[in-house]
Amino acid sequence: MQLASRRAVLCLAAAVVTMPAHAANEPAAALIEKVANEVIALIKAKTGKDREAGIRAILVAYFDLPFMGQSALGTHWAATPAPQRERFLKAVATAEARAYSERFGQYSGQTLTVGRVSNRPNGVTVVDSKLSQTSGQPIAIQWEVRDAGQGPRITDVKIEGVSMVMTRRSDYNSYIQGQGGKVEPLIQELERRAAN
Amino acid sequence: MLGGCASGDTGANEPWDPLETPNRFIFSINRAVDIIAIRPVAVLYRDWMPAPAQRGVHNLLDNLGEPVTAINEVVQGDPSRAATTMARFLVNSTIGLAGIFDVATSLGLTRTKEGAGNTVGYYAGVEPENGGFYMVLPLAGPSNARDAAGLMADYAVDPFRILTYALNVDWLFYSGPRWGATVIDVRSRTLFALDDIEKNSVDYYAALRSAYTQQRADIIRQKREKTNTRSELERRDNLALVR
Repeated sequence: MQLASRRAVLCLAAAVVTMPAHAANEPAAALIEKVANEVIALIKAKTGKDREAGIRAILVAYFDLPFMGQSALGTHWAATPAPQRERFLKAVATAEARAYSERFGQYSGQTLTVGRVSNRPNGVTVVDSKLSQTSGQPIAIQWEVRDAGQGPRITDVKIEGVSMVMTRRSDYNSYIQGQGGKVEPLIQELERRAAN
Repeated sequence: MLGGCASGDTGANEPWDPLETPNRFIFSINRAVDIIAIRPVAVLYRDWMPAPAQRGVHNLLDNLGEPVTAINEVVQGDPSRAATTMARFLVNSTIGLAGIFDVATSLGLTRTKEGAGNTVGYYAGVEPENGGFYMVLPLAGPSNARDAAGLMADYAVDPFRILTYALNVDWLFYSGPRWGATVIDVRSRTLFALDDIEKNSVDYYAALRSAYTQQRADIIRQKREKTNTRSELERRDNLALVR
């Protein structure tokens, strides 16, 4: 009797702890699942330029690219005039689309499992997920989702703790400093790469 | 001062790099050595060495690191985890043929890897992004004051190092092969990630500095907040027992 009840309590506790993991009706988690499914469908079906265009469309539709670009430029954003910002964001979108479409390479049966969803006080929702590969350890991917009025959008992707936005920010900031604090050379470099 | 750390130091700041000029110099030498000597070997190793052999080498090197992991786990105040690590070491060293086969994992003894850098980060009362000044070590690559000191401490307490030193084992038979294999094993595992960072950055040095700092911070933060799978299970068990 005592054993049975203890087991029941264990089950109950387990159910309570794992419940957030199954909160599929959570908009942020639903967004990540949708993006993952679309990306997997895309990389199964297309390669090369078509894939890059598809990835770009997904980035534009589900990621808050202006916000990410702004964060990546950091303190230089405020000093950058609007036309330059436009060019910067366009070049970044192309660069990221190319990076992602090459990164995925050949699809080899990876699956993304969405885990815990936690809300931060600053309005950001963090969605934990695991990318399971056919061989080797699963990769931990955290998604930051923010709703700034246009529905939930992804604002950052952290792969094994490495934030895409923060790495770009460090990268761009160092490059800008090396160019005498001017943003224009960075934009030209990104545009040059995008044109290739 | 602590209050200042808590509010201002959110990890959004750049890694502290007062030695940037010498660091960039060592970084460029490392890159040259990597391009000429290490990367080609790592690529050949990854593409031509049969996967089971690669796994065997990796397991063997992991097994040699288990005593250091156990020592660090004791210092981190987790003797039961250290006991699991030592159990792994004993099982793999014997049944697993000197560690080539990771039998312990299939027995339910999961693998952990700890170093003194993690231990210092675990106890240090600062944001885990703050590991002291950033440094690029010759051959070993990105590091910082915390992790470089950790490497030295791990080297000092490594029972294998002490034993082979005491027995006067020639470096050709132990340290040479071990470090050589470690370099190729680690490099072949980081090919994809490092190529990716290099190709998609405008300043490879800065991007790698940021990525290294973030990843180390993430590992230490997980230790502090106990958010790994095992701690999650333990917390669940404790919750059940309290009720």
